[in-house]
Amino acid sequence: MNGYYRPGSVREAVAFLAGNPEAVVIAGGTDLVIDRRLGRADPQAPLVDVTGIDELRGVRWDGDELHLGATATVREIESDPAVIVRASALAEAARVLGSVQIRNMATLGGNLCTASPAAELAPPLMVHDAVAAIQGPNGERRQAVADFATGPRTTILGTGEILTNVRLRAPALSGSCYLRQTVRWAMDLAGVGVAAWVLTDRTGREAAVQEARVALGAVAPTAVLVPGLESLLAGAPPTTERLGAVSAAASAACEPISDTRGTAEHRRHVAGVLAARALSIAHARAAGLWPGGLAPVNGRAPAAASSGARA
Amino acid sequence: MRISITVNGDPVVRPVDPSDTLLSVLRGQLHLIGTKWGCLTGDCGACTVIVDGRSVVSCLQTVGQIDGAEITTIEGIAGRGRMMNDLQEAFVTHGAAQCGFCTPGMVVAAEQLLRDGVEPDGAAIREGLAGNLCRCTGYSKIIDAVLSVALARME
Ligand SMILES: Cc1cc2nc3c(=O)[nH]c(=O)nc-3n(C[C@H](O)[C@H](O)[C@H](O)COP(=O)(O)OP(=O)(O)OC[C@H]3O[C@@H](n4cnc5c(N)ncnc54)[C@H](O)[C@@H]3O)c2cc1C
Ligand code: FES
Ligand code: FES
Repeated sequence: MNGYYRPGSVREAVAFLAGNPEAVVIAGGTDLVIDRRLGRADPQAPLVDVTGIDELRGVRWDGDELHLGATATVREIESDPAVIVRASALAEAARVLGSVQIRNMATLGGNLCTASPAAELAPPLMVHDAVAAIQGPNGERRQAVADFATGPRTTILGTGEILTNVRLRAPALSGSCYLRQTVRWAMDLAGVGVAAWVLTDRTGREAAVQEARVALGAVAPTAVLVPGLESLLAGAPPTTERLGAVSAAASAACEPISDTRGTAEHRRHVAGVLAARALSIAHARAAGLWPGGLAPVNGRAPAAASSGARA
Repeated sequence: MRISITVNGDPVVRPVDPSDTLLSVLRGQLHLIGTKWGCLTGDCGACTVIVDGRSVVSCLQTVGQIDGAEITTIEGIAGRGRMMNDLQEAFVTHGAAQCGFCTPGMVVAAEQLLRDGVEPDGAAIREGLAGNLCRCTGYSKIIDAVLSVALARME
């Protein structure tokens, strides 16, 4: 029988990992159980099951700050009514991850710690400027989610460290959106995933962009923030011309590969298209122009945002 | 490790390797072989069971994590003393099973979807069952069966 430990607190988990450096954290198991069976992870390594730790659980709002426990499930995130309205990109990414069964098991922490280039929750958390809390032998440290993954399947976590929570703020006059392009409608990894976040100066059609961020998934070794958007967008509404510049900047920020989910060229093009579309939806949400509800899946534009062209 | 769980209403106490999957314990130790052994990668849904009111793929669920849980498999879906429930009957009347391999997982996933109050709408049911593959039926009859029960249970 392999070692298995189910700590009741973060302190116990960290102490166990300090004494057993070969031990591996398990949360939902939807990546790890497969990796162990296929030999991509050591099947003999002792498991530290963090799902019994109360302080790592749940989705909670404290004013305009969203607190996501590391073991919050993807299903909990997509179902939170305030996440749907105030951190829409996160809800839109959560609801397209895997199937109901997978989302019932899969956790936020597991998604970030696996650090797949296509990790669904990374781009929305990055545009929301989310901060990860990490606990380890040397106490707690915090790091922007944008700096968490360092490459495909590698993160900044050191030996014995665990991710404990992720926090972000969703201020008034802000809005976000996540769109992805897939070959199949469901149960597929993103060919391209794009999150956008906008802060405006007022509501209504004339609302000018104050701050904006766009992050791209599945088009580089890690999810990436598109640089230089502030100068393209700040001080005015996102006109067609400005959105064109956002598309070009997004395409330029890609370092895609070609695989079964698309050629590099196709991915670069789609990233640009979806960036403009996601940004205009994020702006509509920030400016109070969005009718409510989530955007259609698979990057299809709602009638309100474009002529209905397909991604 | 010794776990104590409830399976289809019966208490079960067993020594297990906590890193074993629920699927292998159900089939190998408890001989509940209605839950199917399909892809083992979470993709096909043939191994779907209900754990504490949530559908999960038992091929990826380690048993150490569910000590104390209440589990329902296809063998317990109808409830005690009944052959079939309304959903299972609807699968029969709609011809929603051919080879039958996907059927247990499909029924269990659909039952939990119905308990969660899925909209009586083909698109919502399709989305809810996206994690259950069927190589035979083309899905339409399965969706029709689930839809008929969603509507009937609203009355
Ligand atoms: C059929 C299927 C479909 C999928 N579809 C998608 C998809 O569309 N998009 C997508 O992004 N992913 C998808 N996934 C991948 C997976 O479900 C997600 O990455 C999920 O969020 C992983 O979470 P988990 O809790 O299951 O992680 P686990 O498997 O428990 O852990 C994953 C890794 O993270 C580490 N870890 C977990 N929690 C912590 C922590 N708190 N601190 C430190 N390390 C930790 C573990 O040691 C392990 O290395 C899919 C998986 C399957 C099986
Ligand atoms: S056997 Fe579990 S999902 Fe296929
Ligand atoms: S009936 Fe054969 S796989 Fe569905």
